Amino acid sequence: MDYIGEHSLISFLGRASVALSFAGALATVFFYSLYFFSSSDKKSNNHRGIKSAGRLSFAFHSIGVLGTIAILFTALFNHWFEFDYVWRHSSLEMPMKYIASCFWEGQEGSFLLWTTWHVILGWVLIGTAKKWEFGTLMLLAMVQVFLTSMLLGIYIGDLKIGSSPFILIRELPENIGLPWTELRDYLIRLPSLRNGQGLNPLLQNYWMVIHPPTLFLGFASVTIPFLFALTGILEKKYYEWVIPALPWTFFGISILGTGVLMGGAWAYEALSFGGFWAWDPVENSSLVPWLTLVAAGHLMMIVKHKKSAPASALFLTILSFLLVLYSTFLTRSGILGETSVHAFVDLGLNGQLITFLGFFSIGSIFIYLFHWKNFPKSPSEEAFSSREFWMFIGSMTLLISAAQITFSTSIPVLNKFIGPEGILPILVNPMAPPADAAKHFNSLQIPLALVITSLLAIGPFLRWKETPNALFNRILPSFIISIIISALCIWGLKLYNPLYAALLFVSIFGVFSNADYWIRIVRGRWTTSGMALAHLGFSLVLIGALISNGKKEAISTNATYIHEDFPSNENILLPLNDTVSMYPYYVAWRNERTEGHNRVFDVDFYETEGASTWNDFKRPELKPAFTLNPFIQINARMGNVREPSTKHFWNRDVYTYISYADLRPLNEKNGAWSEPMEAVLESGEEVFLFNEYLLYCDTLNVQNASINQNSGEIEHLDLELDLILKSMNGGETNLTLPYHLDGNKAQTSEIELEEKGLKFRFDGVATAEGKFNITAWEKNNGDPPFVLLQAFIFPYINLLWLGSILMGLGTLLAVWKRVYRAINENKK
Amino acid sequence: MKKTQIVLLLVIAIMIGALLVTLEDASVYATFEIADRQKPETVTVVAKVDLASPINFDPKTTLLTFNAIDKDGDSRSVIYNQPKPLDFERSEEITLTGHSTDLNFVATEILMKCPSKYTDDNELNTTGIYSVNI
Repeated sequence: MDYIGEHSLISFLGRASVALSFAGALATVFFYSLYFFSSSDKKSNNHRGIKSAGRLSFAFHSIGVLGTIAILFTALFNHWFEFDYVWRHSSLEMPMKYIASCFWEGQEGSFLLWTTWHVILGWVLIGTAKKWEFGTLMLLAMVQVFLTSMLLGIYIGDLKIGSSPFILIRELPENIGLPWTELRDYLIRLPSLRNGQGLNPLLQNYWMVIHPPTLFLGFASVTIPFLFALTGILEKKYYEWVIPALPWTFFGISILGTGVLMGGAWAYEALSFGGFWAWDPVENSSLVPWLTLVAAGHLMMIVKHKKSAPASALFLTILSFLLVLYSTFLTRSGILGETSVHAFVDLGLNGQLITFLGFFSIGSIFIYLFHWKNFPKSPSEEAFSSREFWMFIGSMTLLISAAQITFSTSIPVLNKFIGPEGILPILVNPMAPPADAAKHFNSLQIPLALVITSLLAIGPFLRWKETPNALFNRILPSFIISIIISALCIWGLKLYNPLYAALLFVSIFGVFSNADYWIRIVRGRWTTSGMALAHLGFSLVLIGALISNGKKEAISTNATYIHEDFPSNENILLPLNDTVSMYPYYVAWRNERTEGHNRVFDVDFYETEGASTWNDFKRPELKPAFTLNPFIQINARMGNVREPSTKHFWNRDVYTYISYADLRPLNEKNGAWSEPMEAVLESGEEVFLFNEYLLYCDTLNVQNASINQNSGEIEHLDLELDLILKSMNGGETNLTLPYHLDGNKAQTSEIELEEKGLKFRFDGVATAEGKFNITAWEKNNGDPPFVLLQAFIFPYINLLWLGSILMGLGTLLAVWKRVYRAINENKK
Repeated sequence: MKKTQIVLLLVIAIMIGALLVTLEDASVYATFEIADRQKPETVTVVAKVDLASPINFDPKTTLLTFNAIDKDGDSRSVIYNQPKPLDFERSEEITLTGHSTDLNFVATEILMKCPSKYTDDNELNTTGIYSVNI
């Protein structure tokens, strides 16, 4: 059947592209793996043909992936809402700049994004990997087989393989067989297909444009060192693999680190978590591969410089990739549903996700263990004063840190195994995440950070093999400066928690020793500055995180109203237009308005001028400082969301959000009307009203009347009732209530006396008694409208952002150093 | 024994320690009955807001009082010393973290699951089919 207006050809082409990319990936695996099956003497003869066939297959795969993207974008761009993906993720009202966000809002689109980065990095590998091409491309194509299979959307029997972004709504399992799918013109007839659901308003945000591509490029670049590590094992090149893998590792550290911190910045800027890191499972699961990748990178350097045992470097490189897959499984399988606010929607692909994770975990661990006995051992033991020994300790500390975060994030997974409904029901009740997440994580992460930061402060000054004692003198100046500066900081900030104070000291030491190293030893040469800069950035991130969190100050403490059973909390009550003291500011809520999806609140901040005059019980002079606009997003899909507004100063941020507000329009909140009071009066009669007034019924005027000559019934009638409202103090107000009758239809209107806060309605004549029905309301002027506000000061949070940028740049410089050397070696 | 091997043993020991700490710190999904038995230990209860009984919120002291019904159908009075979550009445399910006292359940954190999150609104409405003739 031909459906009118449906783009079924496009849907077919889309699915064909996915199939092409899947088949292309399979063919790539096939051709490149031939290399491993050919005997060694034939290898030299065969490999040219194998390489061409493999590259050609990868080209077909790439065309398939790019075609899929192009078609999906075309469908989104043209608002073809017969496509389920388009209908679900975009709408006509959405600004075009968010088309990209719609693209990767869903699981299918974000898999596609990941796949695309692999394709791009795959071509870079083909161009640069030389003899490594066979192994790495074979393994990369295996990953691509799994990733593209997620987009297939085919059924084998009852087994669903992948979820196609090109499925039409009428083809969805729940719609098959419904009568409307038989209509040729269903696209015209179904009004709900005229417009899509739209991108979740919470994600209509520029972060959603830049964060996912960065994070997925980070994920994709964790894959590449893994490819080299496994190829290294398969080809028994246990040392050589680290040379091409190192620049990729640093690239991954830079991009993935930036992606993770961008997520933190997004949370801080746009979500009311009250900070940049909430130890949310989704955040954690992207941080963990970064930690292990950093460890892997350092272990690779030991292998490169010392030709020491590669076992641990291989293990951590493989582990980093497996943790990316595990993170994918956690966030996409719906298993985090109860513990995380922002996991993906379950697509019913769990079986496939587990297969993906299982294939690479079991496969690579098997290969690793199978070759274990062949791994070279270290020729000699590391000296206690060598750089490699302490680098090894640092890497192991990172591994422990990653392990603890993984354990806690995996609680829902543990429940599947040992929970009451699990495979091995050990627990009587399922486990829930720790009640105080920050406390739980900090208990181990702060001591670990202490170890890591001390090592990165001292490490650069250590030498490979053995460090002469004289070198220790070199760190003495920065050590002494750090002691003085951190003592001043601890005293100035009153940071007396010993653990925090210790961490602050080692972080400051990390900054100074690496700055010292950069100035005196590297002497600012850019190609070799990477290490010092990255370490310095990391230390700054820690200082920023430590001070801004440790000295985070709630300034909105409610000191006026305190419940007898609870301590005062961090919510200040702001009645409309009332200026309230919120040390060191005065605040006033001035107005609220609706802007698009958002209800925006205007909160003015004032500074006091000159010395406070509290002693005289006088308000000090107030000077307007700034205005913040926290808002509440009215979000039908996710529930309403409180979004913060932050004033940035160089040394602190003032962060606020509305913690409670009545979301009715302002004029409605401005006092609600009382229950109506009804009176039946005749001319000359009066009634006592709202304990305050006497309502006197004066006269009824007939303005206009016409009677149907035939039936004798009233056709049209205009009445006006004159009333006099008498106040207790003797004041009188005249008031006229209209009443219209048109045939059988009566029309009444409410007359409001704004200054008195009263309103009246004339409901007509009670015909039998010749009396008039009147309804009156009084405005309840009990409480003026109010909002509850939370405000925090985050001191020195800019150090965190500055550190993030330096760390990203430093690791990129480390990439550049190796690329630069490789280029120069080629020239020779 | 080599130094690296000692370090690896230590790493494994600390990891086991971390796992035990996680199990120790983990709270449990419980019912109100279990919460009562284990008071004053902090637990996590998945419950529903009882819309039939009054939900009171005093903005001045930011005290929210309401009744919640857990999965066993047990009802408890819950107090929460934080602003009332937005759309509280619309929530389908709430996750309460807190502890029982003799009088009521004191919640320190409430997570809400909204009914419309990815479900209701995402169903295609096919009730209004136009009967047009072409």
